[in-house]
Amino acid sequence: MQLVEKESGEVTVLELGGRLDSNTSKVLEDKVMEILGQGKKKVLMDFKDVDYINSTGLRVLLLALQQLKKTQGKLVLSTIKDYMKEVFEISGYTEIFPIYATQEEALGHFA
Amino acid sequence: MEPGFTLRLDNRLLELDRLADAVETFGEAHGLAAKLRFQVRLVLDELLTNIITYGYGDDDTHSIAVAMGQEGRRLRFVIEDDARPFDPLTAGAPDLGSTAEQRQIGGLGIHLVRTIMDRVAYERVGGTNRLILEKDID
Repeated sequence: MQLVEKESGEVTVLELGGRLDSNTSKVLEDKVMEILGQGKKKVLMDFKDVDYINSTGLRVLLLALQQLKKTQGKLVLSTIKDYMKEVFEISGYTEIFPIYATQEEALGHFA
Repeated sequence: MEPGFTLRLDNRLLELDRLADAVETFGEAHGLAAKLRFQVRLVLDELLTNIITYGYGDDDTHSIAVAMGQEGRRLRFVIEDDARPFDPLTAGAPDLGSTAEQRQIGGLGIHLVRTIMDRVAYERVGGTNRLILEKDID
């Protein structure tokens, strides 16, 4: 899994790539915990280069959302490949995560 | 069933990379669209992850067989393992209507399997779990 961290104003942007599965999701979980530990509350995860996600990866997203909600923080997702969108729907995640087509639109969510 | 192939994996999570490669090869050979390839990989990954993570009470090496084939417009997969008896069809569905704060972490993998596949059947034969999965090609 690839992970690039950027700052855009007050928003922490995580650009993700590769696979979010049983062997790799811990990397994202650790990064999320590090960000939360720094007191950051606005997080955007960009899935532009993610080509695979399973329930372990999905679980990390829910964990991050739940932690951020405790501190009135926000987690927004963007740029999920078409063939993977169904999995976010089946998981009920389209009801609890704001999901945008592009990173630019997702940044607008925090404006 | 048209001639498919059977992959044998050891009960280690790193073996899931071989599973991913095999699904990709199967998908290409059968001309499956990206979404269908992803669905197949996800379903088999979720089931194998469960078997490898929770299925065995010892530290021995066990072999898990995953057969993949096509029958007309239907894909068919059979997973056979010697893990403890487990019927995924009896697992409870996660509560997807609850708020983000209340939502339980877990139970999602089997829910994905049951939603994505068109037919799932389980049988315990001797000491073997056999799970038969079918997916219709649109």
